[in-house]
Amino acid sequence: MLKSKTFVKKTRSGGVMKIVREHYLRDDIWCGSEFCVECKHDSTVLQKEAVIESDLCSSPHYIIPDTNVVLHQIDILEDPLIKNVIVLQTVLQEIRHRSAPVYKRIKDVIHTAAKHFYTFTNEHHRETFIEREQGESANDRNDRAIRTAAQWYSEHLKKAPDAQDLKIILLTNDKANKQKAEECGLSAYKCEEYIKSLIANPELVDRLALSSDDINEITTGKVLFPEHLPLSRIQAGIKSGSLLQGTFRASRDNYLEATVFIQGDGEDSTEVLIQGLQNLNRAVHQDVVAMELLPREAWASPSSLVLLDEGPKADSENLEEENVVRGRLPDNALLKPTGKVVGIIKRNWRPFCGMLSQSHIKEATRHLFTPADRRIPRIRVETRQAATLAGQRIMVAIDGWPKHSRYPNGHFVKALGNAGDKETETEVLLLEHDVPHQAFSQLVLSFLPKMPWAITEEVIRPVHLYTLCCNAMVRTLSGSFHRLAFSCIWEVNQDAEILHTRFTKSVINSKASLTYAEAQMRIDDSNMNDDITKSLRGLNRLAKILKKKRIEKGALTLSSPEVRFHMDSETHDPVDLQTKELKETNSMVEEFMLLANISVAQKIYDEFSECALLRKHPAPPLSNYDILNKAAKSRDVVVQMDSAKALADSLDRAQIKDFPYFNTLLRILATRCMMQAVYFCSGMDSDFHHYGLASPIYTHFTSPIRRYADIIVHRLLAVAIGADCTDPDLLDKHKRSALCNNLNYRHKMAQYAQRASVALHTQLFFKSRGVLNEEGFILFVRKNAIIVLIPKFGLEGTVFFESKDKITPPLTFNEEGPTLTVQNHTFHLFDRVKVTISLDSSNIQHQKIRMSIIEPVIPGVSVDPPEMEPQTKKARLNP
Amino acid sequence: MAAVQVCEAEKVYIMHGVRDDLRVDGRGCEDYRHMEIETDVVSNTDGSARVKLGYTDVLVGIKAEIGKPKPAAPDEGYLEFFVDCSANATPEFEGRGGEELGSELSCTLYKVFNNVNSLELRALCIAPREHCWVLYVDVLLLQCDGNLFDAISIAIKAALFNTRIPKVTITEGEEGGAELELSDDPYDCVRLNVENVPCIVTLCKIGHRHVVDATLQEKACSVAGLLVSVTHKGTITCVRKVGGGSLEPESIFEMTETGKRVGKALHAPLMKLLRDEEAQGKQRQKVGFLG
Amino acid sequence: MAGLELLSDQGYRLDGRKPSELRKVQARMGVFTQADGSAYIEQGNTKALAVVYGPHEVRGSRSKALHDRAVINCQYSMATFSTAERKRRPHGDRKSSEMSLHLKQTFEAAVLTSLYPRSQIDIFVKILQSDGGNYSACVNAATLAVIDAGIPMRDYVCACSAGFVENTAVVDLCHAEESGGGTVMSLALLPRGGQVALVQMDARLHQDHLDALMEAAMTACRSLGQVLDGVVRQHLQEVSVLTAE
Repeated sequence: MLKSKTFVKKTRSGGVMKIVREHYLRDDIWCGSEFCVECKHDSTVLQKEAVIESDLCSSPHYIIPDTNVVLHQIDILEDPLIKNVIVLQTVLQEIRHRSAPVYKRIKDVIHTAAKHFYTFTNEHHRETFIEREQGESANDRNDRAIRTAAQWYSEHLKKAPDAQDLKIILLTNDKANKQKAEECGLSAYKCEEYIKSLIANPELVDRLALSSDDINEITTGKVLFPEHLPLSRIQAGIKSGSLLQGTFRASRDNYLEATVFIQGDGEDSTEVLIQGLQNLNRAVHQDVVAMELLPREAWASPSSLVLLDEGPKADSENLEEENVVRGRLPDNALLKPTGKVVGIIKRNWRPFCGMLSQSHIKEATRHLFTPADRRIPRIRVETRQAATLAGQRIMVAIDGWPKHSRYPNGHFVKALGNAGDKETETEVLLLEHDVPHQAFSQLVLSFLPKMPWAITEEVIRPVHLYTLCCNAMVRTLSGSFHRLAFSCIWEVNQDAEILHTRFTKSVINSKASLTYAEAQMRIDDSNMNDDITKSLRGLNRLAKILKKKRIEKGALTLSSPEVRFHMDSETHDPVDLQTKELKETNSMVEEFMLLANISVAQKIYDEFSECALLRKHPAPPLSNYDILNKAAKSRDVVVQMDSAKALADSLDRAQIKDFPYFNTLLRILATRCMMQAVYFCSGMDSDFHHYGLASPIYTHFTSPIRRYADIIVHRLLAVAIGADCTDPDLLDKHKRSALCNNLNYRHKMAQYAQRASVALHTQLFFKSRGVLNEEGFILFVRKNAIIVLIPKFGLEGTVFFESKDKITPPLTFNEEGPTLTVQNHTFHLFDRVKVTISLDSSNIQHQKIRMSIIEPVIPGVSVDPPEMEPQTKKARLNP
Repeated sequence: MAAVQVCEAEKVYIMHGVRDDLRVDGRGCEDYRHMEIETDVVSNTDGSARVKLGYTDVLVGIKAEIGKPKPAAPDEGYLEFFVDCSANATPEFEGRGGEELGSELSCTLYKVFNNVNSLELRALCIAPREHCWVLYVDVLLLQCDGNLFDAISIAIKAALFNTRIPKVTITEGEEGGAELELSDDPYDCVRLNVENVPCIVTLCKIGHRHVVDATLQEKACSVAGLLVSVTHKGTITCVRKVGGGSLEPESIFEMTETGKRVGKALHAPLMKLLRDEEAQGKQRQKVGFLG
Repeated sequence: MAGLELLSDQGYRLDGRKPSELRKVQARMGVFTQADGSAYIEQGNTKALAVVYGPHEVRGSRSKALHDRAVINCQYSMATFSTAERKRRPHGDRKSSEMSLHLKQTFEAAVLTSLYPRSQIDIFVKILQSDGGNYSACVNAATLAVIDAGIPMRDYVCACSAGFVENTAVVDLCHAEESGGGTVMSLALLPRGGQVALVQMDARLHQDHLDALMEAAMTACRSLGQVLDGVVRQHLQEVSVLTAE
């Protein structure tokens, strides 16, 4: 117990509840400076050599930023140059309430020892706590608290020996606060002023966020956008139902159009259309906005036009043109609820990747930045390095979007590298998909055992398992090494019925290391009759039975072409591209992996009914099958969708003579109808069914690459078999559920990133290969395009029949078929076509594969097959 | 009500004393016992006061909540009373034992205080027919030593004086619905005008005379009494006969007159005390139950 | 708006305490004259009054009387204004009844009831202001009141609450910490022998943490015991000075 505690009451009224909290003041909160001899600290954070070379202050100094400086200039504070900063508790608390991302970032900085950021708990310090005075606003009180703490620091450190030169510098952009601080004898500077004074690092200036003062300078002062409503009005409006709250989703194709997704109760959610720049009212993709519905007469339909925001426009230019909704005449049937954004509830800005569009004026410092994501508006940034940054991918953060500015204002964060480079582009796509890809921290690595590492003798208990020790990892195990593993051992009879299941930690002594192909060869080679081959055949036989059983239950075998790149060993550029071929052994390994997953799922669920980590695959709603249905009908094939079994059976029956690839195409389409499989926590859900595998329960236990989900499952299983003990987090179903959500999110983003990466590498491939002619099949028919699948590459591309610079041929779209008639030729689903593939790099940020039709020949539409480069083989189809 | 047993001889002794204007504890017939008042004793209420009168000990806490005005008075707020006769006062009150007394007390308090003459109820209205302040006046009986009404009424007046209601502003919603906004400044609050709040004087008829502030022993000698509520101007706002016996009209008249005189004299020192206490502000060392 | 940060990175709680620190405790014995024993305690903003009547004859039905020891009768109630949101009834709800029962169990373990066969001891506690740790404040106040009434006990009964925040055991929780949704343990200890008179825990807690939590709560109870002892000694001194006069 501390005796010297005085206490002060703090009241806070929420609603009409009077809440009284105690507030203890302490005298054992230390200053954290190396200079100080008075404080009894165990460790110090603030250094003696606190020297950042500055014109304003040549002596060592500690920096105290106020709330707004931290909030807006976090990019600056994160720079390794800025050290010895005192973060006050008052500031930290305010940031916590105002911006979760910035709070996390500043906390990360504080935890980085090399940054020497010290958190001073001033609100509980006896000499720096202040009470709010009559008539003082909460903000004014906090500003005063910051000044009081700064003053305390300068007086406190004056007493320390050798600290005569030390200065405390308060950074604030608030004029009144700065003035008051100077009156108290403090050194106070505006953040910009201070950063500009730094001698060594002039480039830091670019990373300054624009303060509202600067923004006023830039703009003409003409109000272009309606004012946003204050939060209180928004809350009142949402409560009364006059306003709606939703997530703003900008259109990818049309910068003047967006939808707001309004989450209703349960399934009841709606999308509201927003058109025109003023109605969009400065909302940025993913912001949570408040919006107002327009009267029914003003409702519109999505314009289905592609509009890109071209070139810089001055703020003085009228927005009128951009407010007029362009598009075809409203078709009453297609009218959607339409509205306008009236306020922003929560900004969801992150740093955006993109490129600088250099200003045409030489020596200009203000430039427009074009984000890679088309849904993000262009951003105005100020930089002196425009010439260097041209042609590079850079990151930019938005600082604000005042109502008289055509574009949001932002600042430069960092450069990623030259556009078009594989490394840069990979970095961009990882960043844009929120895939964390930093190296593991020292802390994480410290948990790894020291290398070289071997299994100690006592661990090995030589149990001679000559039963079919089915290890699903046949292909990853290298011979003659001992491996630690987690095994699932089944005792099965001739009909592959499981008699007994056992889970154990194990040490595997591999008899042989085989690739899929090698294993396949052994099985097929009737001359080989050694033990290994015989056991492989046995396993294969069992796997076939298991698979048959699974399929009888209604498991789906759907295909989705998987692309594999053959990399050049020197440059790591893709040299060839082909779809993966599946062998019988792949299927064999898969079968046992599935079985292990199911067995383990059941085991951990039995043991931990509340917190088992499982994976489910919901059955798709029937409406999802529309595409598949139409596609099948177009070829007079019936596909039943009532159950997984019916679907699987009818897919098996769906064969057309002379068209062996039809079945695969149909299965590809069926895949598109499916729902996403997700991880979940058994205590938080009641539906466990895995539709695709027709299994009542499933999880991820084995996998060729280690997934975090597996690790959790391993831990649960280890506890279940008594090989380990539980830890609290493992059994917390809410934490588990949050983890599942994160896994699902990461998985989704990783998939997007993977797709983007495949696209990137495909582009690189075509860049090196030039133009190719290939055969393909029509997978989808759209109003103005067909989507073609090239089986050889597993590549999908769109053939557009509309383009800006050409006259559009007469197009007739029939939704029922669906078919598209171009001139006199009608395209049906699954039609075989021949296309030429090339890389369109007219837009450096959005390079894409372009496909044009060669066959069938349609005058004015199809192109002549271009000259093939000699190295390319004649395109041929492998059915 | 908590009662004491008094034998006949004692009764006679008390009655003779009263006749000679000399009570057992040395007081005259119109004298009050020693009284202690402290306000702001419970920090999570909007107003509170504790009054000790002899051994009688009451604690009053007032909480303001937003409610809907009563249809009969759409532009007024109102008061709600609850008297908790706790088992702390006497084991007889354990469980539901104190409920009867509690409801008797709260009904009387409602009549005395909840009217426009004693408190500006209109000032409690936020939006007519929509929102008003409801003051929940909760009385906690900690020890009973007679004359509960007087002690409670003084405690209520002190607590009302101490009450600070957060300031509420009304912003018109777009469809006419009023939205309430609470001021975030803790100093921004509304005080009540307690000038006209009456005090209750209970008179006990003992023999042919009557006494104010009767102890439990004196009460045991009395058959009936009269409760008078008096404002600082001497206006009587409520008269009620209490106790089981009956009273003659003449003695009711006499008792009313005494009540008026005593009650009027009570207000000025009470208000002075409350103001003095408030003037000390934050420097005041709060005593509460620790003194 | 983000929720409350119960424990800062610097190791301070909402009100500025460190995890193992108690709130300010102030107490007084002999608050009332009519009761046989009474006491008042403040633990931070939680304020409780306890009153003891007895030992006396068994009230009401005689059949309740026990031939070998005294009946402990407890009633827990809360002033209607004690909580941030006004309560409608001071007692009689489920929570109060549960609390009454807990108190009864706690004091049956501590009071030397066998000294008073066929009699009854009433312990009434009232929460005047509630800011977390109501049970503990009641037990501590009642201990002082029982001592004030001169009823012999095995030892002081000291109670304290403890919870678990960010893998750290925090003691003597205030309301904001209690309502955070985490585990709350209430523990009543007879400090001299180290026996536990009552322990109760809400919400889930992993077994690994239980020891740490118990240990923290027991340490807190012991320091509370010292405070209560100080209060009793000072009270005795004051009273003996008065009687000497």
